[in-house]
Amino acid sequence: MAASAADLGRKDLPTGPGYEAYTSNALKLFAEHLERNSQGNLLDIGPVCQENIQFFAHRVKKHHVCDMFIRLDARLRKGEPVRQIWQELDYPIESFHGILVWELADRLNDEDVHELVRVCHSILMPGGMAVIMVMGDQISSTETRSFVIGQDYRVQLRPQPHLNLPLRGRQNRDVLSMMSPFVPAKSFICRPGFMEFLFQRV
Amino acid sequence: MLKKYKKVIPEPKVAPAPVAPATKVDRTIIGDQIFIEGIIRGKEDLLIEGSVKGSIEMKANHLTVGSKGQVNAEVNAANVTIGGKLVGNVNATGRVEITKAADFNGEIKAKSISVEDGAYLKAVIELEREPMKKFAHPEKQAEKTEEKPASVPAKESSMPAGMDNKRI
Repeated sequence: MAASAADLGRKDLPTGPGYEAYTSNALKLFAEHLERNSQGNLLDIGPVCQENIQFFAHRVKKHHVCDMFIRLDARLRKGEPVRQIWQELDYPIESFHGILVWELADRLNDEDVHELVRVCHSILMPGGMAVIMVMGDQISSTETRSFVIGQDYRVQLRPQPHLNLPLRGRQNRDVLSMMSPFVPAKSFICRPGFMEFLFQRV
Repeated sequence: MLKKYKKVIPEPKVAPAPVAPATKVDRTIIGDQIFIEGIIRGKEDLLIEGSVKGSIEMKANHLTVGSKGQVNAEVNAANVTIGGKLVGNVNATGRVEITKAADFNGEIKAKSISVEDGAYLKAVIELEREPMKKFAHPEKQAEKTEEKPASVPAKESSMPAGMDNKRI
């Protein structure tokens, strides 16, 4: 059985379907990849998360945080074109050993996903890895959540009520297709019903 | 009983001692109508609600950028709390706290950090590295699970003490 937030003793984390804690194999492999390089550079474009910053602080030299979810939310609220948010990822090419994309692709239309993938491919080093998640069709809630990494790669979902983003519900084949510039390294179906993917730039 | 009360000599009224906030919190406040350009050096805590451009040097003290504060500066301080807008690099010997009202763009070097969900960040974070504690080596764990494509939950384990979403 996956542990709930209650099992984990966390009063601030929700319980119920879609919020079960699970062990992330993709994050295990990703962290292993980062730890191979003591001067590693990580880019996290997910919702800002205290625990994840702490988690990776000991595994990489520099942890770059650029919350694209909050930027996307701001654009959508103002009715402005989404395409301009990619200017925020103005990092030099081949800068990072790893990128945490989380489920951003599930929040974008096809055109913007294409741009996201192009930018990620550009700023990731050859051999670098990216973690992508999609919710599939088994998640009932469209709520935006952060993936809070705990001990032993135990992940708990935490709602981000300040974010109001659409959910596309992409499938396995959609992800493989959109990530075609990368080589798929691993994919996992997680207990709460979504999928984790690990892609590598060659 | 009443007689007893009559015998009581009332104490002379003593004016209450004036409250001296300066002795309680030695902190300078830069108000929201103040704009400063240049170098700020100090040996007491500072709260910025106004605009500051330049550099801030207070290696033994606490800098707070308040909700109305707009700072474009290189910051050297013991501890820093960001609750407003700060563009620049922050070098803290202690802790950096970023509230959900913060809008930060820059580099942070600190011993520890806390970030609230909802903070608007574009940051490079470099924390003082502690020696690797007992991280279960991911390679070994990955070997155990690699054969199974689907995620298998590990044994029930409690989250680390640092799992509070506000503070480590």
